[in-house]
Amino acid sequence: MPTGYDGMTDREVPSSVKLALKFLWFTFWTGFPLKLAFALLFLAMGMINFEARIALGFVMVLASPVTILALPILMMGLDSHIGEGVGIGLLFLLCIPIDIWAYGVVARTYFIERLRLEPPEGIGLSLWMKTAVVGALYLPILWLVVGFTTETAISVAHSLFELDLLKGVPVAERIGIQLVLWGSVATVVLLIMLLIGLWLVGLVIQASTKGAQPMSGSYQGRVTRWDLMRVPADQSLMLTTFAGTGIVLSLLFWSALPVTTPRPHDCCKKPEVKAQPPYKPIDALNKDEKLIAQLTTQLDELEKKKAEEETQGKSKRKGKAGKDPAKAPSANAPVQSESKKP
Amino acid sequence: MPMQPTPSSSAQPTALEKVIAFVDERVGLKTLQAKMLNEPVPGGSRWAYIFGSILLFIFIMQAVTGILLMFYYVPTADHAYASTQYIIHDVDYGWFLLSYHFWGSTAMVVCVFAHMSQVFLWGAYKKPRELIWLVGLALFGLVMGFGFTGYLLPWDQRAYWATTVGVEIMDKTPVVGDFMARFLKGGPTPGQMTLSRFFVIHVMILPAALMGLAGLHLFLFRKAGPAGPFHGSVEELKAKSDYFFPRQVWKDIVGMVTVFLAICALAFWEPVVLLEEATPDPGDYHPEPEWYFLFLFQMLRLKIFAGEFGQFLGAVALPGAFMAFLAALPFIDRDPERNIFKRPIALIGWIVVMTTILIFTVSAIINREFLD
Repeated sequence: MPTGYDGMTDREVPSSVKLALKFLWFTFWTGFPLKLAFALLFLAMGMINFEARIALGFVMVLASPVTILALPILMMGLDSHIGEGVGIGLLFLLCIPIDIWAYGVVARTYFIERLRLEPPEGIGLSLWMKTAVVGALYLPILWLVVGFTTETAISVAHSLFELDLLKGVPVAERIGIQLVLWGSVATVVLLIMLLIGLWLVGLVIQASTKGAQPMSGSYQGRVTRWDLMRVPADQSLMLTTFAGTGIVLSLLFWSALPVTTPRPHDCCKKPEVKAQPPYKPIDALNKDEKLIAQLTTQLDELEKKKAEEETQGKSKRKGKAGKDPAKAPSANAPVQSESKKP
Repeated sequence: MPMQPTPSSSAQPTALEKVIAFVDERVGLKTLQAKMLNEPVPGGSRWAYIFGSILLFIFIMQAVTGILLMFYYVPTADHAYASTQYIIHDVDYGWFLLSYHFWGSTAMVVCVFAHMSQVFLWGAYKKPRELIWLVGLALFGLVMGFGFTGYLLPWDQRAYWATTVGVEIMDKTPVVGDFMARFLKGGPTPGQMTLSRFFVIHVMILPAALMGLAGLHLFLFRKAGPAGPFHGSVEELKAKSDYFFPRQVWKDIVGMVTVFLAICALAFWEPVVLLEEATPDPGDYHPEPEWYFLFLFQMLRLKIFAGEFGQFLGAVALPGAFMAFLAALPFIDRDPERNIFKRPIALIGWIVVMTTILIFTVSAIINREFLD
């Protein structure tokens, strides 16, 4: 049997990295569907217009507890414009109560089921505030470090292939090798930075376990208790509320949904790609046939003109030959020439 | 498990109760309901188990949106492009239906990958679930087939050239390759016959095959029962064990709603936009397949896969050998151990395969920018 945390429980508190990973992962998935529903509604209502293709990681995956304060700092620091619309700000505001609720549900169930500790009062709000501050301080640093490393690694990988020795490497192989080179460095740095971030968040969560009282009772009892925290006692009321909210949101969505393709906002128009005019084989064939007919006519006219000139030349020469017998052609020649004419 | 009759507040049954009793007497509705919902889930409900239900939901939604699109789509080489443009620009909510259908196919591929990865990592393919795994592999092939055949239908440059490349790859298969390529193309170059055949396969043959195999997959799954988690003490498993309804059903519903919302958001974000109408001249367009075939496409660009034999090796032999290995996996891997952290070869193998697919897919995207 593992030794208990503070010698009072029969299960150890996991490492801070593991603890943070579990808390953030569960919290993210608990709040994500609700936030996504609002994001979709705002998109349908035209309240959100994204400029960037992936809109800064879809507003840092709908502003998780860690990114909610970090994202505005990053946007100001990098002077980046992810888009326009009151929906972005409104989504941020809605994310706050949803995340506090999600953090609370996750923390309470985790404390009871895994840590076997009584969850402190207001754990959701307290953890949300602390992790938001950690994220606000740490994420810009992570962004800078990973961004700088990636840029440096890309330029080094590209410069390696400028060497005479590697200039002959085919394009596909070169792209693959370069990607592996800079991708490995960037991934390792990102993972290290993420681990440090998780460790920091884990320390915050671990601190909140210190004052918690150990639980008593059987395992089955604890399971029932945390289960009832996730599923309210009045399940009919919960289902009615959920169904009602779903119906209202669906009606709002369908009433706001554009009938025709939504046009991009003036701020966020995508660069127009001018495609080459399509190749129409029949049109091209007709055009070529017309050109051939035109050229044939021109050729006929030229030949006719040439023949006329030749005839005129001959008559002139004949006139001259009468005057100068030494320059007269042989007797057969004009006959042959005339006979060859079409 | 025998179901108790539905309690009624009054002595006399209501009209609805009478209708339910009438149908139940003839169909066995309550027995069916009990069979469907009272499946024991060892270790309790889990989010990791939602992918199968999500896949079924996506397929139903694809069928619904596909049928609605068929009301307007004309599967002829002369009108396919124009009718698709009509759906996008003139039909009420047509842009949304088409974009949902497009992103739904992407979601289906992602969920198939997630579901297969989950089954592999959980060791749920092992005895006595070998047949479930095999049918699952066949379903994976069908999903890929849906993506491949559906891609041609808008009849734009992207569709035309992706199909041309795909059929050329198929042509390299020994024995049946030539027949398959000729059958699918129906002529020397993709044209009316190709479109007709792809359309029939997409809307008739594949859905019928998928429904049959999905039914078999579910039947086999219910026969063998859920595998349950690969770790946890007996006490924990016993305490958490539950029925399929209501907790797993609830999780499945949340998963379905999330996927539905994600597909809708993607449809808004990146609605389907067609390129120029299909012609036998690619012009400035660089042909490439749909994103989930990009890794294979990029792999074939490597020098080692150049030439007739190289192309066969990269396009047919290696993927074929990999699929054959996956099919044989439950019969090769006889060790009953299911914990992925105690199966290092399986874990490393999965990481290597996923990393390779990721590297080649990203390389193909970089290569596209290089070509542009």
